[in-house]
Parts: sequence; structure tokens; C-alpha cells
Amino acid sequence: MWNNEIEQMMDAVTCPCCGLSCDDLKIEMSDGQLKSIQNGCHLARAFYDTAFHHTDQDPMIDGRATTLEEALDYGTELLRQARSPLFAGLATDVNGMRGILALADRCGATLDHLNGDAMFRNLRVVQDNGWFTTTFTEVRNRADLILLVGSQCIDRFPRLVERVLHPEESLFVETNQRRIILLGPWQQDDIPTELAQLNPTVIATDIESLSDAAGLLRGLVADRPVDSDRLGDDLGNSLTALAEQLKAAKYSVISWSAAELTMAHAELVVQSLVDLVKALNAKTRSAALPLAGTQADITANQVCTWQLGYPLRTRLQRGYPEHDPSLFRWQDLLTSGESDLLLWVSSFSSLATPPPTKTPTIVLGHAGMMFEQQPSLYIPVGVPGIDHRGHWYRSDGVCSLPLGKLRDIGLPAVSLIVNQLNERLLPFADEPESAPAC
Amino acid sequence: MLSKLTGGKLYDPANGINGDTRDIYIRDGKIVDPPADSEIVHRTYSLDGKIVMAGAIDMHTHIGGGKVNIARTMLPEDQRGSARPKTDLTRSGGGHAIPSTLAAGYRYAEMGYTSCFEPAVLPANARQAHMEMADTPMIDTGGYAMLGNDDLLLQLISEGAEQQTLNDYVAWTLHAAQCIGIKVVNPGGINAFKFNQRALDVDDSHPHYRITPRDIVRTLSRALSELGVPHPLHVHASNLGVPGNYLSTLATMEAAEGFPIHLTHIQFHSYGAEGDQKFSSCAAEIAEAVNNQSNISIDVGQVMFGQTVTISGDTMAQHANHNHAHPNKWTCMDIECDAGCGVVPFRYRDKNFVNALQWAIGLELFLMVDDPWRIFLTTDHPNGAPFTSYPHLIRLLMDRGFRNDLMGQIHPEASAATHLGSLEREYSLYEIAIMTRAAPARILGLSDRGHLAPGALADIAVYHQHENPERMFERPMLVFKQGEVVVEEGRITQPVKGATQVVRPEYDKRIEKLIERRFERYHSIGLHNFVISDDEMAEGIGSQVNIHACKGSRT
Repeated sequence: MWNNEIEQMMDAVTCPCCGLSCDDLKIEMSDGQLKSIQNGCHLARAFYDTAFHHTDQDPMIDGRATTLEEALDYGTELLRQARSPLFAGLATDVNGMRGILALADRCGATLDHLNGDAMFRNLRVVQDNGWFTTTFTEVRNRADLILLVGSQCIDRFPRLVERVLHPEESLFVETNQRRIILLGPWQQDDIPTELAQLNPTVIATDIESLSDAAGLLRGLVADRPVDSDRLGDDLGNSLTALAEQLKAAKYSVISWSAAELTMAHAELVVQSLVDLVKALNAKTRSAALPLAGTQADITANQVCTWQLGYPLRTRLQRGYPEHDPSLFRWQDLLTSGESDLLLWVSSFSSLATPPPTKTPTIVLGHAGMMFEQQPSLYIPVGVPGIDHRGHWYRSDGVCSLPLGKLRDIGLPAVSLIVNQLNERLLPFADEPESAPAC
Repeated sequence: MLSKLTGGKLYDPANGINGDTRDIYIRDGKIVDPPADSEIVHRTYSLDGKIVMAGAIDMHTHIGGGKVNIARTMLPEDQRGSARPKTDLTRSGGGHAIPSTLAAGYRYAEMGYTSCFEPAVLPANARQAHMEMADTPMIDTGGYAMLGNDDLLLQLISEGAEQQTLNDYVAWTLHAAQCIGIKVVNPGGINAFKFNQRALDVDDSHPHYRITPRDIVRTLSRALSELGVPHPLHVHASNLGVPGNYLSTLATMEAAEGFPIHLTHIQFHSYGAEGDQKFSSCAAEIAEAVNNQSNISIDVGQVMFGQTVTISGDTMAQHANHNHAHPNKWTCMDIECDAGCGVVPFRYRDKNFVNALQWAIGLELFLMVDDPWRIFLTTDHPNGAPFTSYPHLIRLLMDRGFRNDLMGQIHPEASAATHLGSLEREYSLYEIAIMTRAAPARILGLSDRGHLAPGALADIAVYHQHENPERMFERPMLVFKQGEVVVEEGRITQPVKGATQVVRPEYDKRIEKLIERRFERYHSIGLHNFVISDDEMAEGIGSQVNIHACKGSRT
């Protein structure tokens, strides 16, 4: 059954720890405790260990323990009084996000994800330009050249080599013939072992130069009159050779994680990489593989996009959706004081807490959260994939995987809490109300 | 509770009723026989002279799934200017060509539609398609799973697997993806594009598997027939949009070798390459072929002038057309050794020769195909136009004067190149009811809807009679969903949720071993997490499953 059954031994568990969404974890439980995990990476182990270490369920009002009933009453009151609420964090599953969007519509909230900055480095390019992408199974079976841009792909997606870059078997290419090229701020002895074993070609460049490097590659592939010497002989020659390899490849894949592109105007790097892929497709085949998905950023954005018609960074204050990728950045709304209530939703990580703020704050958070500054209200919620079933999107935005349930200690799902808040606001919705509030 | 609809003029072609005044009784969400005189009627709706039809069924509309969401992501401008504010009853949303799920559901219901089918569900993306459709209120939904570009099927055909094995795989796909039909898009072509092939005609050999689109169409149409799946193979034929492609379309019809097939958005596949512009109408040739072959049904994919976005699984064709993108941005995607998609915004202009002739070709097809039971009213939403243009399209079919007036406004050479002006046919209300209700229900195997006989779901649309059919069909007086009034005078009065319509042909479970092994070796998701269960549909995805019978089913 989707809802009830908890098995002691599960061998196709989906891990919601990063956008790889490995679904081959074997987990053994004993008396509600985690006995063993197989196939998970170190991030997955930490994720499960942390969740099982924390079982506190008491909601807190200004740091004092209270009942769920009182917490919901207080949360309802805070939402009712808010004129310009901000719903941020949004690290939850599909049904949690569905509930948040319904509540946001009622309250006139503005929505952004805690990874909004990283996400919009990609989305702004999609909105300006579109892109040409691929998915994990295609890369496993088809890619003969993979260009990894940046240097944190293994830190952020630990099983990338095993799951995508170098599986045991492949349909159309010999995986040991697959050429791997690393373009980014690498030092030769920093390369993680699993990547080093693939004998990659390393083109070292600092992160600030990636925009130039990507632009040069794109120019070379698109037969523009580019000056490769501008970047120095070594880098220029390496990129010129790489451009030829890309043109000769049958199915090249260009991958990056926008989260590590923290320099100003990083979307320009993404734009160049997307243009490069599109230019390659004029004659051969190529596709981009943007890596993302951590903290359910893809999940939250997908649900928001289909229900509101816009991606995140959308506000509902006027009774209908308005989208602005610049103005509705959650950090700015908070520091400028434009929001009078923060609802922070973060169910996967105990560390993803809201920043200290003068704005009254409701946290629907992981049970292990420690706060630098006590929020007005904290309701511990279950972890999707541990405390309740749910759905979670992989990096590519195509595959949504079912998340399982490993224990039942009474931690409520985000969807349950936000739906209850929504219902409690309901009786007042019909009252004449001049301001566009709840 | 017993309700009575009295005095309405019924158009119920499934039961041969053509404008007769009859009463309808509703109990527990269904149409029932007239009750005994002693029974109390709790609610009576006086519909004197109003037009009563079953709720409309859109059998081909892109309302859910990854490519729709890619289009929404890429085109925030589609939402601006089309916002739909929240009300006490309905959520906010909006959008013109690619509405939010909520807005799509409300708008369909506000036009009298009660069931809609997403024609391009990638099995790898089926969860999302169903989640989006679950968030599309007011209507029942269903999907056609895409096969014929997945590497497993192509390899099986290439290896000469027995038809029974292929049938099992097709049936398993319907179960796993919770779908009601199978669609093939550019048979083998999406896959060939991944091998850098840029065109694949019906008898061209696939660069890797050495099979042809003809092989794929024959195999899949035969599989569905042998499995007893009511809906024939739903085919987006080879060479979409290419001048001269009517020959590919005729060859695709032939490839079915007499098995039932449905050729979708056939307007985009009815082009010749004659004339100064090397683009001409071959609607007559296509219509003749349809008229002469009873195993073939079609929907039109009518083009309307204005801004829209084309969203398709046909990566090959969409990439080839990206230079026409308006505004100038486009997205393509290769997906999971399963299929692909392409999203290209487009503006159809009445003063553009090609666009104007596309408009005329669609109308020629409507008017030249004789049997309204085998031609369906679609715009291939949003590829030809948004579904909200259906009332306008109905007027074009019912009103020759209006049609000819508009023909006078299009590009003059297009106007000269079409037979449209000489076609005198005007559709009757009865024929409109066939195309939009009775026939889609029949071709999908939905015995519980599309008609008004006792036993049917009480999905009913009531229209004010109006000399202008566009006015009439854009704003029903009442819409009933399973017996409840959900729309009054074109406004939602009660939000409801629909269910997912599926079929479950029998198959030999041993095929699952083969598929599981394939997934283990080559895919990035385990089979266990690929298959969608009924519990997951109901509890997680949020839509109950309704199972419809297959022909000759032993269950």
C-alpha cells in the first residue's frame, strides 16, 4: 500500500539526497531503527543517520514547547495577519509543494526556493533562449565525450561516475572509450579517485574564466572569427583542440552544476554552454546535462510551474500569479523588509535553517534543526522518503521517483500541516476583506 | 437524489437522437431510466428549447507532462496578459497557449468539456503527466503512452522478436504508465535523430536497428488489435510539416495493413510540394484515402492564426523547425532511451502563404472527409492553436458564409490555392455532437460517456440556442459532471476532481523479467520505481483509476 506498509528490508529505496536520486539503496530496518544501508554514498549515510537521530516532535512557539493544536492555531493567526508573506525554503516533496501553493494562493504569498540563485542561473537562460538537454539513461548509453564544467560535480553528486559517466554496460558505446574532459578550477592532485580512474583530460581554468572559455568554445564550433590566443597559449590551444573533439564526437554531453557557478552573472556561462550545444547540433549530436535537484529545487519548481504557469520567484499577492526572477529573490525580500512573515519549509536537511531575521518566521522544518535565533513558530515535520511517502524529481526534471516510508513515529508531512493551516484559514476567506491578505 | 432535465433538445448521435425533445433523469451521478410516477424528483431543470449534449471529449490535447512544463518555463510571456485571478471557488492561474493546469481544467469545463486525453505520455515521464492531469480540475483525463522510439522495442523488432513478445511489452507499458492507448510519434525517427539522422521516411532504414517506420507501425497496430485495446494505434506520422509529406502519410496508412490506426493532427501531414512556393494542399488525396479505408480515423490539428507554441515528442521535426521559432527561443530534449521532446513557439499569420494554406488545408479535411465518426475536432492543442479556439472552429465548420468571409482575408495566393471556397458543406449540430462526443468515446472504448442513454455518466453540457455557434459553444448554460452542476452560464460554480481512464489488456508476465534485466543493465531507474501502481495513482499522484474494458477481455 502507498500509505501504510513498512517493510523491514527494502532494496529499491530512492535517496532524496541529491539530484542523482539513486534508487538502488538497500535498507534494512530493525525495530524502527536503521540497521544497514547498502549502495548509498557518504551523503546518503549522513542524511539517513541524521534523520534517525532526531525524533523530537514538539512544536515550539518562540522556543517554548507546545502542542501541535496550539501551534496550528498560532500559525493560522500569523498567516491571517500577514499582508505580504514570503514562502521560502520549499524543500519538500510534490504533495508538500501542492499544499504550499494552495496556501500561498489563499494568503497572497511570494514563493522562492532556498536554491533559487542556483536554479535561476539556468532558468534565466531557458527563458531567454531555451536549451537542448538530455537525461541520465541517454548519457549512460550514448555519450562518447563528456565535458564536465566546474570542479564540484563529485562533491555534489557523489555517485555520478558509477550511475551516469561510467556504468558497467552501455548500449551504443564502449564506456572505456568514452572521453572525459574536465574544464574548471582543478589541481591535478585534487581530482577524486573515481574521476581520475577515467583518465580524464584536464583543462584547468579558474572559475572566473569559465565564461570566456565557454564563449570561445562556442565561437570555435560555430565558425565565428574568435581569437583563441586571448586566453593565453595553453588554454587557447587546449580549447581549440577540445572544440575539434566536440565537433568530431557523435554524441557529446556538456554538464555543469549551476550551484557552483557563484560568480556574478554566472548565467552568461550557462548561456555560452547552451549556445555551444545548440551550435554542435547543427551537424552532429550533443546535449547538455545540467546537474541540480538538491533540496528538492527541481521538485518545487516543477509543481509551481504546472500549477501557477510560472516557475518559482512568483508572487500571488494581487490574487493572480506574477513572476519576476530578479525582484522576487527571497534573500532580498527578507533583508529589504518587504515581507512581513516568512514561512520557511525545509524538510530534508537539519542544517537548512532560515537566516536570522527580524521578520516573524514560521518554520516547517527537519526535526533536527538548531536555530541561531528562535523562530516565532517551529513545527518539526517528517522527512519525505523516511517518515512518509512522496514524489521527488531527479536532476533532469523528467523522472519523478516515488519516495518510500521507513518509519512511523508521528512526524507529520509538510502537506498535512499546510493543508491544515489552509483549512483553518478557510472560514475567514468569505469575509469581506479590503486588503489582499488571508 | 433524483434530478430531471426537462424540455431540452437532445443531440445524442450514439443513440440516434437528433434534436428531439426528451427528458433526462440523473441519479448517483449517472443517467437513469425514467422513474416510476411515485418517485420524488428532487431537482428539476427546465431546459425548454436548450441544446443538450453529452459532455465534450477532447481526444488529443497536450495538457500534461514534461514538455508542457518546459513550454511554461520557457515562455513566461504566455502567462502575462492572460491571468486568471482566484475567486472564492477557484484558484488563480492563467496562460494563453500553455495554461496552468488549474486554468486549463476550468476553461475546458467552461466550454462544456468533461474528459480530455493527453496524447504523448512518455513512460519515463508518466508520473508527471498524471500529476499534472490530477491537478487539472473539472475533467476526467487519460493518456496515450509513447512507444516506437524506445530502444527496447526497436531492438526487439530488429531482432525479429515474435509478435506475442511485442504484444506483451505493449500491454505491460499500458499497465506501467497507467494509460488508455499507445501513440507512436515519427516512428523510429526520434530515436534515429539521436544517431544524428535528420529525416526518416516510411521505408527508410533506421541507421542502427535497420528497421523502417513501416515495420514499427505494422507491429504496433497489430499488437493493439490483438490485445483488444479499443483505441487504435495513435500515429503522428513521419515527416511532419515537410512539403510533399502526404505521400508519407498515405504510406503510413498502408503500413497498418488493414489494422485500425488513427492518424493524428493530419493537417500537418497533408502537404504537397507543388506551385511557386513548393507548398500545396493534398487534403483531397488524404480525404479520399480516409473515405476509402474504414480502418482509418483521423483528427485534424486545425491551425488558427495567432501566437502559440508547438510542443511535440518529435525531436527530429522540432529541431528541424527551430529556425521558425517566434519568439526566437526553443528547447529540445533526448529522454531516457525512451523518446524525446521539442518545444518551439510559433506565430501563425494569416498573411503568410504557408500558414494561410495550413489553415485552409485543415478546413478542407474537415469538409472532405465524409464520415464524422472517423474525424475528430482538434487543434492538437496548443500546436495548431489553443483549445479555447474550439468554438470559433465549430463556427467555421457550421457557417459557410463566415468561412468564406475569413478566406477573403488570408494571403491571396493561399486563397487561390485552396478548394475551400467551393466546399459547400456545413456541419450540423448532430455532426458536431458526433465529432466532439459520440465518436471520441467510441474510438477510446469509453462506453460510460459520450452519450445520454441510461447507464452513462451524467456528464452533460446544456447550451443556449444561438444563431452564431461560436457564441453558443463558448458559454454553456449548464455543465453537469457526474450529475453535479459544475458550471453555470460559463462560470465555475463547483470545483471537482476527475479520474484517470485506463485499459488493462492481459499479458504474459514473463515479459517483466526481460524488461527488468534491461533496466538493470542500461537504465538509471529500477523497474520497481518505474511502474506506477493504482495505490500510488490514488494516494500519491492524486487521481483514482477507472479501468475500461478491452475487446474480448476474459475478465
